[in-house]
Amino acid sequence: MSKQVLYSTAPEDFYYMDINVPCQAACPAATNIPAYIRCLFEERYGRSYEINQVANIFPGVLGRICSRPCEDKCRHGEPELGRPVNICHIKRAASDLGEKAPPSQKGPFPSLGKKVAVVGAGPAGLAAAHDLSSVGFSVTIYEALDDPGGMLRYGIPEFRLPRPILDAEIQHILDMGAVLKTGMRIGKDLTMEDLLGDCDAVLLAAGCYRSIPLNIPGEELQGVYLGLEFMMDVCQGRPSVLGDKVLVIGAGFTAFDCARSALRLGAGDVTICLRRTEEDLTVTKDEVLEAKKEGVKIESLMLSSRIVGDKKLESVTFVRTQPGERREDGKREITPIEGSEFIVPADTVIAAVGQRPEPIYFTGERAGEGLQVTDKEAFRASVTGLYVAGDYMTGPSTVIEAIGMGRRAAERIAEDLTGRVFREKVVRQEEAQTTDRERTWDFLQRQEMPTIEPVEDRFNSPDLEVETGFSFEQAKEESKRCYLCYLHYEIDISRCIYCRYCIDVAPRDCIKLVDEVKTNELGAIAGFVETTRWEDVNAIVIDNSRCIRCGECMRVCPVDCISVTKIEVMEQVLEEGKTNES
Amino acid sequence: MNPREHFVVIGNGPAGNQAAMSLGEKAPEARITLISKNHGACYRPHLLPEYIGGKIPEQSLYVCPVGTYKERGIKLRSGQTVVRLNPKEKELILDHKELVRFSGLVIAVGGKPRIPEPMLVFKDLMFTLKTLEDAKIWIEKLSHVDSVMMIGGDLTSLAVTKALLSLDKKVIFMLNEDAFWPLRCDGALFDEVTERLEERGVEVLAHQRIRSIARIAHHTYEIEVDSRKIQVGMIGGFFGLVPDIRFLAGCGLRIDRGILVDEYMNTGFEGIFATGDCAQVYHPELRDYWVSIGHDNAVNLGRLTAMNLAGGRIPAHVAKEKIFDVQGIKVNTSWWTEF
Repeated sequence: MSKQVLYSTAPEDFYYMDINVPCQAACPAATNIPAYIRCLFEERYGRSYEINQVANIFPGVLGRICSRPCEDKCRHGEPELGRPVNICHIKRAASDLGEKAPPSQKGPFPSLGKKVAVVGAGPAGLAAAHDLSSVGFSVTIYEALDDPGGMLRYGIPEFRLPRPILDAEIQHILDMGAVLKTGMRIGKDLTMEDLLGDCDAVLLAAGCYRSIPLNIPGEELQGVYLGLEFMMDVCQGRPSVLGDKVLVIGAGFTAFDCARSALRLGAGDVTICLRRTEEDLTVTKDEVLEAKKEGVKIESLMLSSRIVGDKKLESVTFVRTQPGERREDGKREITPIEGSEFIVPADTVIAAVGQRPEPIYFTGERAGEGLQVTDKEAFRASVTGLYVAGDYMTGPSTVIEAIGMGRRAAERIAEDLTGRVFREKVVRQEEAQTTDRERTWDFLQRQEMPTIEPVEDRFNSPDLEVETGFSFEQAKEESKRCYLCYLHYEIDISRCIYCRYCIDVAPRDCIKLVDEVKTNELGAIAGFVETTRWEDVNAIVIDNSRCIRCGECMRVCPVDCISVTKIEVMEQVLEEGKTNES
Repeated sequence: MNPREHFVVIGNGPAGNQAAMSLGEKAPEARITLISKNHGACYRPHLLPEYIGGKIPEQSLYVCPVGTYKERGIKLRSGQTVVRLNPKEKELILDHKELVRFSGLVIAVGGKPRIPEPMLVFKDLMFTLKTLEDAKIWIEKLSHVDSVMMIGGDLTSLAVTKALLSLDKKVIFMLNEDAFWPLRCDGALFDEVTERLEERGVEVLAHQRIRSIARIAHHTYEIEVDSRKIQVGMIGGFFGLVPDIRFLAGCGLRIDRGILVDEYMNTGFEGIFATGDCAQVYHPELRDYWVSIGHDNAVNLGRLTAMNLAGGRIPAHVAKEKIFDVQGIKVNTSWWTEF
């Protein structure tokens, strides 16, 4: 008998997914994480890679440098459950260990007769170009620099992201049919008016390429660099000359890349100076660990107030800071402590405190007018036909956020130009079995990414990739740890005899006797009113937001009233497109 | 009627133990609970090297008999671990999922052995010394081996070295500037330490880097350093301590290297204090934060914190000259004066 499969676009089903599959909900590109981890466990590396590629386009790249919002939400990382699954490095394993993908083909759909210009070949622009060209738009990407990739190529050092990996995944995107024109800068080589006149839509995804200075006295001294400029020089093989003692001021990935690159350029003593604390860092813990292993020092609660020197930098004056209350954005207020000035000697300072976009001005009728984003949700700018996405719209974000934005902007452009949508997210529900996961797998230690050891060997070549990748065995072992939260466990209360064996064996308080099931305005389950009074029990339910999918409840159920459904958010590509009414 | 105050102390090291005892004196009407992940009564960790060397019996390590807690109205919950703190709700969650409410809290969880990041890869091959259980492992291992490699070099390592020499063990000491904690060991101090170690028969490996460590037999480790390969029976890792506060991540307390507190050891939450090795305090004269290590400091801070929780207002003041700069961290150490 064939399995029943249902497809739904009902809001309550998407709500269920957001609550119950937290990793996928946290991914800005909505990558179907449980599915690709399961494929990897089954040693279907190619399929695991494809599931990634459908959603995030750059599995090999992201498997190395993703900021991993999924791991922060992984159920395995909840209190008393251990540490999150190493999702990111499983993604890399799918890329590293699989068969080489077959040659890419041009976009599968016939031409729609619509032209779109994408300004910027960074993650957002490339993602948008991929989605638009693959459904039949004629796409041209204009890149100001010599090669595509944006911050991936010009902001991230090779020891974290080898260029052959990047080149291969960009080529896959271009194979969908987009035309890439490099060395084309808007405002210099062509104008925004040219593009708007020539195309049906223009997507501006030009990134953030202007470093924000510290805005303190002494920044003009010799030996003071801006973080992004420093990294762009490193990435293009023309690094700056550094002194022995380097202070990096900043807390983001760029600051860490600057610090680790400085060591590879021969600096003897490199310190990252934080205004906040190490606990407040948003870079991944692996990044902090590897930087420290290499010898980078991290000092906290210090704010630079003056750079001191006579023509050449000699020292930096800092004041101590203290953290205060948390703001709405989750960060703490930081206030300088009066009278706490202190001096740190330095030969080089790298200021990596942020970037912003380079302003683009219109010519012609709108001469001198700057670009304004009028609707961030729809990625629309102040001029008809002009759209904005990625870091250019939001300021510096992460690669996965930029990819997610690029893809959503492409959806919006496609719909505005044709009245149709070509990609649709659906919730696919399929009858399933409990898995072959063993309870002991819940206690497996997280597999950590192997790196080049001893650490000194990393400096043999400045481009040597530090993380060496999971072995087949490690990848399989780590994939065992995933609870597979896309499995939905449910009790049929019309058949349940309320023996409560399932409650007895559940390793967590995930099976509940309830008086009432609360629903929200979407009609989705939003909570339970539990009761300990037997006469008030109206149902016995599995709270899938607590369940770790161990399957113990099914194994002990004497009347076989517990079922499993595999529920996944999937993307369907629609050749003819679909109007909102259809 | 006001509900009875419930003061909870987490950690039964020298600071936590003293805090609980002082609370018992200052607030006799209050319910006092002392939660410790270690079993049994408080002991003096700084005497563990002498215990390893057979100079003192286990009984001499203890600050007081277990029965003392009951006599003083303190409920000792040993072998239990706090896994979460909700400071707004004044709740703790223990690892067996029990929820404990409190009206006042002293966090005195102390430190755990620090392993510098470049050495993490060798972590499982090195023996550390923080707890009585660690000391018992050392004693058992030493009964099978003749030689020990000491890596790192905090002040405990010197005491352990003395103990090992008294047991007629061969000791090889890797000494370099960065690994010596809590002081930077360079210049005259480096020469002095080297000379004193060598006088006592210790082989000093100066300025050498470890390339690899391998366990090649049950009681044999091979260490490859810059100049050669060395085989020993045991390896000790001594790099000082770091606050053991991972369980507080994201709970709302302000955390840097330790728990940030004001000069009264208050965390910023009413009734919630941190003390001993896990607290970090700003010092206006130093223009920097400081942390405290050592038995005497811990006891003093524990007492002071208890008095503040019981309604006092006593600042923790440390003379500037007693604080040392250690790899960018200002440390008040009572060990150094004993060295």
